[in-house]
Amino acid sequence: MKIEIAGVGTTKSAEKWELGLLDIAIKAAGKALKDAGSVTPDAVIVANALGGALGDQQNLALHVAGGLGYSHAETYSVCCDEASGGAAVRLASALIRSGMHDTVLVVGAEKTSDALPDMLETVRSAGLDAAREASFGFSPTIAGALGMQHYLSTYHLDKEAFYHIARIAHQHGSTNRNAIFPWALDRKQYLKSPIVATPLSVCDNAPPCDGAAAAILKKGSVQTSNVCILGSANTSDRKGIVFPITSLQLPAATQSATMALKEAGSQLSDMSLMELHDANTFLAALSIEAVGLAQPGKALERAQTDDFLLTGTMPLWTFGGHKSRGLAPGASGMYQLVEAVLELRGDAGENQITNANKALVQCLGSFGAQAVTHVLG
Amino acid sequence: MQIAKSWRRQPSNLRLEGTRCTGCGQLEFPTVIRCAQCGEIEFETYQFAGKGKVIVASTVYEATRDFGEHVPYCAAIIELEEGIHLATMITDVDPADVTVGMEVEMVTRRIAAQGDNGPILYAYKFAPQLQIL
Repeated sequence: MKIEIAGVGTTKSAEKWELGLLDIAIKAAGKALKDAGSVTPDAVIVANALGGALGDQQNLALHVAGGLGYSHAETYSVCCDEASGGAAVRLASALIRSGMHDTVLVVGAEKTSDALPDMLETVRSAGLDAAREASFGFSPTIAGALGMQHYLSTYHLDKEAFYHIARIAHQHGSTNRNAIFPWALDRKQYLKSPIVATPLSVCDNAPPCDGAAAAILKKGSVQTSNVCILGSANTSDRKGIVFPITSLQLPAATQSATMALKEAGSQLSDMSLMELHDANTFLAALSIEAVGLAQPGKALERAQTDDFLLTGTMPLWTFGGHKSRGLAPGASGMYQLVEAVLELRGDAGENQITNANKALVQCLGSFGAQAVTHVLG
Repeated sequence: MQIAKSWRRQPSNLRLEGTRCTGCGQLEFPTVIRCAQCGEIEFETYQFAGKGKVIVASTVYEATRDFGEHVPYCAAIIELEEGIHLATMITDVDPADVTVGMEVEMVTRRIAAQGDNGPILYAYKFAPQLQIL
């Protein structure tokens, strides 16, 4: 059964002091509903990673449905760390495929600016192993720093090699009016940016932001002109930060991409663009290798070429990725999906790539222990 | 770090106790409830020797809440003699002097305090192995 994406909407990634978590979720949902035309969803699914831990609204989907005026919708709130958005879309697809519902609204929303930076990083850390890692002061950022250090020493590279990951994202984000940091990043800025944990600097990390993105999924018709979900997979692997740091591999990302491509009947080379998880430049490099765009240790070498630019052979992060558009953790997977849909519809404006036919979208949770991939076309 | 949670984790945090699977002998740290290798649910307590070597290290300048007092500190992945990989802080040494392959041993240190009046968590860190002269 085909699943159509009948409408999409996002809010600008920013620090939205005037709006709360529920407000931005409803705002994005409203845009997606307007984009889809006259539809009334049977179910509402909301992806959010941090709201409960930050003392914000819990059971968010129920309150979003209420805010939209739906009194009889089935609601689910999905919390899978930074894979929440992808997991919510897969759950919505399952509800439609099972025949339970025809139309489902999926919203990803996150409100980070109400928390001070150290509190925000603490709450983000709860997605790691709470007993062995988070309670010993480890965070996704520190894990990224350790991974980066091991990557550099294993493959005999200089830190500057990671610049190209950030450069590509910022180059694409510079024309995205919804990006929190819409500017190009030059080498000097990158090398001068303050160190957070050696060797990882501020410019290696995606900036946290407030943001929401939404999509209307519906049972597909044979003749639809809408973008459809062709394949998807949600896989998990060894939990914890140790394995990706020491092995420099993301088995869940590899398996998830392979399964989603198989279901779609597609090859990697059939993709016109990809949205991979770039919460930091280390995870971005491992993701490039995990899905098969580069051999182990060669992601940064390929990033130096023009291959991943909008005009390249495999554009990545076409709206700036999390690095330039901003990282709204629980909504990040939904942003990726919406941006890929805009590319495939030809509605990407200055960020439009040519001949966009199929896209692979992958989000990672708990430092790569979970991976959700969708193939769109 | 709530008091009960801290108390519950004392065997692993203070004595480096893990488990050995009675089915396949797999060592785990900290304790597990079911063996991921063979599915066994019976275990023996296994106390790790507390010696290992650094695989990778980083000097942390921006910490999570409750860890700001330690900045800058060394976060590392070490390999215990028994083969287990562990995320831990390296202490009693300048973070810049921590090197890959450095031999380290377990020490008990203050990890974090919950505010000015909350409980203090003591647990393992690792320090360079003392040389016997």
